[in-house]
Amino acid sequence: MRELFHRKLERTSIGFAIAIIAAASVGGIVEIAPLFTIDETVETVDDMRLYTPLELAGRDIYVREGCYACHSQMIRTLRDEVERYGPYSLAVESKYDHPMLWGSKRTGPDLARVGGKYSDFWHVAHLTNPRDVVPESNMPAYRWLARNTLKMDDLGLHLAAQRAVGVPYTDEMIENASRDAFGQASPDTEFAAGVTERYGEETQVSAFDGVTTRVTEMDALVAYLQVLGRLTKAPYQNTAAPEQAPDPNN
Amino acid sequence: MDVDHDTLVSVSKSWGLFYLIAFSIGVLIYTFWPSNRKRFDKAKKNILRDEDDKPWK
Amino acid sequence: MVKQLTSGERQFAAVILVVLAVLGIAMAAAGRADPLGVHGLIVLLYSGALLYVVLSSFYEREPDLSLRTRYYDDPIKVGIALTMAWAVFGMFIGVWVAAQLAWPNLAFDAAWSSFGRLRPAHTTGVIFGFGGNALIATSFHVVQRTSRARLAGQISPWFVLFGFNLFCILAVTGYFMGLTQSKEYAEPEWYADLWLVVVWVVYFILYIRTLARRREPHIYVANWYYLAFILVVAMLHIVNNIAVPVSLGHAKSYTVWAGVQDAMVQWWYGHNAVAFFLTAGFLAMLYYYLPIRAGRPIFSYRLSILSFWGITFFYMWAGSHHLHYTALPHWVQNLGMTFSIMLLVPSWASAGNALLTLNGAWHKVRDDATLRFIMVAVIFYGLSTFEGSFMAIRPVNSLSHYTDWTVGHVHAGALGWVAMITFGSLYTLVPTLWKRERMYSAMLVEVHFWLALAGTLIYVFAMWNSGIIQGLMWRTYTQEDTLAYSFLDSLVAMYPYYIARAFGGLLFLLGAIVASYNIWMTVRYSPEALTDRAPAGPDQGPLPENVTAPAE
Repeated sequence: MRELFHRKLERTSIGFAIAIIAAASVGGIVEIAPLFTIDETVETVDDMRLYTPLELAGRDIYVREGCYACHSQMIRTLRDEVERYGPYSLAVESKYDHPMLWGSKRTGPDLARVGGKYSDFWHVAHLTNPRDVVPESNMPAYRWLARNTLKMDDLGLHLAAQRAVGVPYTDEMIENASRDAFGQASPDTEFAAGVTERYGEETQVSAFDGVTTRVTEMDALVAYLQVLGRLTKAPYQNTAAPEQAPDPNN
Repeated sequence: MDVDHDTLVSVSKSWGLFYLIAFSIGVLIYTFWPSNRKRFDKAKKNILRDEDDKPWK
Repeated sequence: MVKQLTSGERQFAAVILVVLAVLGIAMAAAGRADPLGVHGLIVLLYSGALLYVVLSSFYEREPDLSLRTRYYDDPIKVGIALTMAWAVFGMFIGVWVAAQLAWPNLAFDAAWSSFGRLRPAHTTGVIFGFGGNALIATSFHVVQRTSRARLAGQISPWFVLFGFNLFCILAVTGYFMGLTQSKEYAEPEWYADLWLVVVWVVYFILYIRTLARRREPHIYVANWYYLAFILVVAMLHIVNNIAVPVSLGHAKSYTVWAGVQDAMVQWWYGHNAVAFFLTAGFLAMLYYYLPIRAGRPIFSYRLSILSFWGITFFYMWAGSHHLHYTALPHWVQNLGMTFSIMLLVPSWASAGNALLTLNGAWHKVRDDATLRFIMVAVIFYGLSTFEGSFMAIRPVNSLSHYTDWTVGHVHAGALGWVAMITFGSLYTLVPTLWKRERMYSAMLVEVHFWLALAGTLIYVFAMWNSGIIQGLMWRTYTQEDTLAYSFLDSLVAMYPYYIARAFGGLLFLLGAIVASYNIWMTVRYSPEALTDRAPAGPDQGPLPENVTAPAE
């Protein structure tokens, strides 16, 4: 008898646990499930580029240093934001972003369209010590980025992992990842041509930190910052944007 | 995929609403079910009974 | 703590720790040139230290099994010590990181101490380290007392406690090395996430088995909240953290979610981490420790049931209010807004229920700083849930989002509600647990109360001001219809508030240090010792020996 009573109690606590899950899962399912088909509602954009290995490495550094804690990458559909930062962000622009870096706080300005707004030299000086360029800034100095050589030997693995989660990198891209990373930061070498060949003519090949003898983390981060907002021109075509896309060649 | 986005959204919304209403009714019935009243009263008073150190098992 | 185990249990504990140590060695070997290797070493050291504790008492006399009819309180005691250690650590990092916003050179030009790496160390330290340990410790206490049953396991409570702290240590040391998934409040990498799943499954089984042993026919409502906390956090954690590691030798991974989907999943997780980690579990504390401390049953039990299901159901929909005016579909934004406003009903029902419980005991609130902690926590809970619903309204959000207002709102909840209810619960729990009549010093509880309240108010007012000013400056136009202020203008306007905020945080940190001292003294000095002021001998120290504090 006591045994039976006991089992009933056990059943109620399990049943209770199931009720909690049932109550709590609905909201998530209703809001998240339709997003699996959201691609259908987003206009297909033909000119959407992929991050080059160097840009992806820069993005990983952006993540590593927690830049997203102070900088958003999501321009909202509000007039002042569009006038301050450029055309509002479209869903398609972050469709290859694993993870997304929309951010939630602007201690510093939004970076969704910072690519091309400043020179490579400005970025390097700013990252080395922000207060040299903007005296009032409270951004940390990132001097060690220029000191650290970029780890490039395993970039193929990074690209392969990105492909595993849905980014359409080709076998050729994965195979050449390390070479392309080196080539993008070394314009005068034989490796530079392969980068534009694989990732498009718009890709910026440059000695980002001004030093061509080695590729540093500074090169990668600046390459990433310079491509922000420039993977596609769609935002400038689909909206009443007050600005033109920055020219990639300046 | 066979289901298109709009269908999924509308199913999701209507089903969500149905679930919300059904769930609320269920909870209200449970809370105000007359025979539960005594259990609840007992439960809220029982925690104040001071018998530390003497668990059942 | 090992003395309470039979020899079979000691062997089992040793086996678990050896397996963990082997895992650590495997990680160290696989990730030689990667931060993963450092984490392997940390796992190895951690399990080695615990193994040393187990083995050093391995052949001691076996415990008297008749004592197993009592409550199992040792893990709770260690949990409280860990809670306070993490509180001081997490809040110290918080003050430091706040000071860096006013004085950026306080990072001292090192990578590990820069803002972006310290910030998750602060959030993880206080949310998971302080809050998580407090939840685990109090849940072990509440479930035993309300079920009148002993915890259903000898080793599993220790496994949950130390396993969870290993997760926290991996998380924080990872940030210092630059390991993060960048998902807010879910930054730890894939292997730490997998480990947390294991810990959490054991936690759930332990909890549900203890409930199944209960003598009371009805499960007391506090346990509902703890159970919801355990279950829903598991669900959120698993879905949000699905990721593909670069290789088994890399700490780095990429989430399977992309762009808009990732944003929705992230904030579905993020907002419900607030709901089920920082609200449900702490409401459980409220529903148990408030009646106990006030000596009165909860005002309306039925209301507590209604608000439980309301919170469990509504919160899940609200996450999308973090994404107003973004590329998220409009209907999802609207759903999030609607449910956020509806959420105010169960939230205020809980707060009202708690305040009405105090009705008739106001003289106790006046005299007893512990009860005052609980009351102020309830008031801040009511205020910040109102503020939250308000900020979820789209036009309000257009001003508040991306500004310090959000930070102020979060801290009204975190300092005013979460931390205050925790301190109130700990001051109730500590004397009971160590069989003391009262805390070592009522005066120090009073000092802590005023430090905490002043710190919270300064912090929150500073952030309200800075956030609203910031938001307004960004959208102000001149008569010529151009933007009136550059971004830099708005940043310059923030500096005074950043200094005030760091000061408010400092007061709160001092309060936590006072509390740690007070708890330590309560534990250390028995009531007899208090009368003649003779210090207790070292072997009388009531804290279990060889407790490993979290690495800091």
